[in-house]
Amino acid sequence: MDLAYIETLREALHKVSGYIYPNDLELQWSVLIVLYPYITGLVAGAFVLASLERVFDVKVLKPTYRLSLLVALAFLLVAPLPLNVHLGHPERGIEIFLTPHTSSAMAMFGFVYLWYLMVVLLMEVWLDYRREIVEWSRSETFWPKRVFYKVLTLGVDNISPRSLEIDDKLGRILTVVGLPSALLLHGYVGFIFGSIKANPWWSTPLMPVIFIFSAMASGIAGVMLIYMFMCWVRKVRIDMPCLDTIGKFLLTAIIVAFSLEMLEMLQTVYEAEEHFDIISLLVEGKLFVSMILVQIVMGSLTPIALLGVLQLAELREKTRKFICALSGVLALIGILAMRWNVVIGGQFFSKSLRGFTTYKMEFAGREGLLSAIILGLLPLAILAVLLYLLPPWPKEDQAKAS
Amino acid sequence: MKDIQHLLRVAVIFAAAFAGFLVVRTLLVPKSFGKAGHYRADAVDEFAQLPRRYAGEHACGKCHAQQASDKAKSSHRSISCESCHGALLAHVENPKSDTRPRRPKEAEMRAFCGHCHARSLSKPGRFPQIKLSEHNPDAPCNMCHQPHQPK
Repeated sequence: MDLAYIETLREALHKVSGYIYPNDLELQWSVLIVLYPYITGLVAGAFVLASLERVFDVKVLKPTYRLSLLVALAFLLVAPLPLNVHLGHPERGIEIFLTPHTSSAMAMFGFVYLWYLMVVLLMEVWLDYRREIVEWSRSETFWPKRVFYKVLTLGVDNISPRSLEIDDKLGRILTVVGLPSALLLHGYVGFIFGSIKANPWWSTPLMPVIFIFSAMASGIAGVMLIYMFMCWVRKVRIDMPCLDTIGKFLLTAIIVAFSLEMLEMLQTVYEAEEHFDIISLLVEGKLFVSMILVQIVMGSLTPIALLGVLQLAELREKTRKFICALSGVLALIGILAMRWNVVIGGQFFSKSLRGFTTYKMEFAGREGLLSAIILGLLPLAILAVLLYLLPPWPKEDQAKAS
Repeated sequence: MKDIQHLLRVAVIFAAAFAGFLVVRTLLVPKSFGKAGHYRADAVDEFAQLPRRYAGEHACGKCHAQQASDKAKSSHRSISCESCHGALLAHVENPKSDTRPRRPKEAEMRAFCGHCHARSLSKPGRFPQIKLSEHNPDAPCNMCHQPHQPK
C-alpha cells in the first residue's frame, strides 16, 4: 500500500478510539449545525414571550412585547445562514422553493420558514408599528429615515381609531396563528434529529418537544438579557414587575425542558438497549464537561435554584436583577451546550457502537469558530439596526431617555 | 373600506409576490422536471444521446477468441476486457483504423494491478494480495503473471 496513505491513516488513528467505521472518522455536521437550532430556538422562544402579552394577556410583560418581536425577527433573518454557509453554494438555496420534495422535512421547512417570516412576523411587526410609522413618516427630520417610513406606510396614512382597531384584531389573530407556527418551526428542527433512526443518541420522538421547551427557555432568557442591557444603555429604570414575571416564565421553561431531558435520559438508562454501553461511555467521557457540568449543573440546575430562590425569598431589587441576569446567561450557555451535545455528541460515536472519533474545530475556515462567532453576533447587529429604525420603547420612556 | 385600505395594499403586495414567484418558477424550473420523478426527465434522453465509447464484453471474443477463452476459465473471468484495456468501441467498429495497443503501461503496471492486489486488512484473507514494496519491487507484474490466466 502507498506509504503516504499509510501515514495519513496513522495520523487519523490518533483521533479515534475503539473500533470505528472509516466513514465515521470525520464529523460531517460542524459547529454551524450547532448554531442553527440555537438561533431558531431563540426565534421561537422570543415569539412565545411576545405572545404571552398579546394572546394570553399577561399585561405586565408589555415593556418587552415589541422588543421580543424584533429579537425574533433579527434572529429569524439569520436562521438559515448557518445552513447556507455549511452547505456552500448559497445560490442553490432557492431550489428548495422551486422544486420542493414533499417527502423531505428539510424542503418543507423552507415554506414554514417563509410563512413564519412573511405572514407572521413581518406582518405582525408592521401592524403593531403602523401608527408610529405613519407618525414618524410625518415628523422625522432625517430624510433617508423619513423615506423609509414613507415606503413602510404603503402610501396609506390613515390611522383612524377604527383602522387601528382592525390592525389590533388582525395582529391578535396573527399571534394566535403564529404561536403554533413558531413551535412548528422549532419542532421541525428537533424532528430532523429525532427522526434519524440510525443514531440512537438522536432517535427519539421526544426530541421535538425537548427542542421546543429549551427554545422557549433560550428565547425568554435572550430577550430578558437584551431588555436589561438596553435599559442600562438608555439609562432607564428596569420595570421590575416585568422582569420578575419574565423570571417566572424562564424558570417554568427551564424546569419543563430539564425534566423532559432527564426523562429521556432515564428512559435510555432504564431500557438499556444495545447502544447503552456506548451512550454511557459518551456521557461519562467525551461529553462529561459539556453535558454533565455545563448543560445540567451550570445551565439547568443552577438557574432553577437561583430563580427558585427568587420566587421564595423577598430580595432587594439589585439582588433580583443580578439573579435574573446570571440565570439568563447560565441558561443561554447551558442551552448552547445542549445543542452541542446533541449535534456533535451524536457524531462522536461510530455506527459500530464500539468506538469514538473526535472533533477538532477549525478557527478561520468556512465552518470554523470565527464563522460561528460572526453568525452568532450578526442577529445582534441586525437587532441594533431594527431598534434604531423601529424603537420599541414607550413614548414616555423615549422622552426620559433623551 | 377606507379603514382597511392599508391591508388591501398588503394583500396586493403578497399577491404580486406570489405571482412573481410563479413566474420565476416557470422560468427557472426545467420543462421536463417531475415527468418521471423528482428530476429533469430530459436528462435521461440527453445521457442516452452521449456518444457510446464502450463495446461491451462480448464484442472482443469475436476476434480475440484465444484470449477470451483463456480469461473465461481464469479467476479474472468476472472482469470485463475493457476494465484493463480501456473503452474500445471505436476499435470494434473499425479495427483497422484504431489499432493502438491498449494495456496498462509498464511503468504504471504495479500501481494498476495494485488497485486490487495491494495488501489491505479489509480484504478477505484468501484474496491474492501482496505488499507492493516487498514483492519484486522493480519488476512489472506481467513479467511473471499472465493477466488472462493469472496464477
